[in-house]
Amino acid sequence: MTRGVLLFAFNSPKYNYYEMAEYNAKRINHYLNLPVTIVTDTDSLPAHTDYVWDKIITVTPDKSNTRTWGIWINKGRFQAYDLSPYDETLLLDVDYIVNSDKLNSVFDYYDDFCCHNTIDFLMQPNSAQEMLSYYGYSSLWATVVAFKKTNRVKNIFECIHMVQKNYDFYMNLHSFNTGIFRNDYALTIALDIVNGHLRNERDFIPWNLMHIGTNTSVHKEGNELDSNYIITFDNWQRGKIKKEYINVSNIDFHLINKDLFEGIMHGSE
Amino acid sequence: MDTKTLLAESKARFNHNSAKSYLKEKYSSKLLVAEQSGLWKADAQTISFLNSMDVDSIVLIDTFNNPVQVDREKLLTVLKDTYNTVMTDWYNEWKELESKR
Repeated sequence: MTRGVLLFAFNSPKYNYYEMAEYNAKRINHYLNLPVTIVTDTDSLPAHTDYVWDKIITVTPDKSNTRTWGIWINKGRFQAYDLSPYDETLLLDVDYIVNSDKLNSVFDYYDDFCCHNTIDFLMQPNSAQEMLSYYGYSSLWATVVAFKKTNRVKNIFECIHMVQKNYDFYMNLHSFNTGIFRNDYALTIALDIVNGHLRNERDFIPWNLMHIGTNTSVHKEGNELDSNYIITFDNWQRGKIKKEYINVSNIDFHLINKDLFEGIMHGSE
Repeated sequence: MDTKTLLAESKARFNHNSAKSYLKEKYSSKLLVAEQSGLWKADAQTISFLNSMDVDSIVLIDTFNNPVQVDREKLLTVLKDTYNTVMTDWYNEWKELESKR
């Protein structure tokens, strides 16, 4: 049985996702001791890199997803099943910073597919869970997905593709309007369809996905592979900001604000 | 700018409640153990229950709500080891953070 990590990274006009992927790949090698394959395009791939990927897979990306700041190439995640060279794959967002070996334990207890169904925010504990709409499903998260190559998992990824192709219909059906395609919502809808609209606890990673949210900054301490950070938070009280902080170490987290990644990679200003 | 200067200049205060929540998130998940085809939490309740029984084999409900037949002594040993390791780390990090002002 082969195990490895799959990262999708397509540069946008605003963010260098390839650079984020390479930064994270080194951390994955260090903390999880797993090989990393990147799925990217020829425009994102630099002419020269010191990092040795397990495999580099180039595809032609779908660039039809636009946000206010430009193109966001996040479609095509459904290809992970076919593209992964591993029997067991961890599919991670490049902005999910690996700081511990915790994800290795997922391989011990999942059946053939699992993802996060609950989240929390560092510095903003007990935040509400995200819903597709007021009366819709609670959102699942495509940030961390572990899967084996089984027929059921193949169906899940084919269903994600189907949802992507018919995203407007599903937005209408579930009464949400994100304006842009979101993998989290496509996964939520697809997994529910494949599971007959029943939720199976075994499909979920049994701890919260930790987000770094709004008004929060991350300051890295130590060298490139260290996992010590200071997290600062602007707590608005009576029209004034009270600056608060905590020290964290060896905890994985997901950066919602991609601008923070720059500070982590190159040092905070 | 280094982080100490940054914290001093912004007059940032250490938030003990957020630190407590972060530690709970970090260490609670480390108490989870996959053993004998079930997923278990090495908490005081499960350890006490396993300790109080005097049978070799027992059926327990795991964290996925499935009944699983387990070797009691073997599971107890694993859960006790996990509990001691994780709780000691949790305590040590908490003491370190508690000293911050």
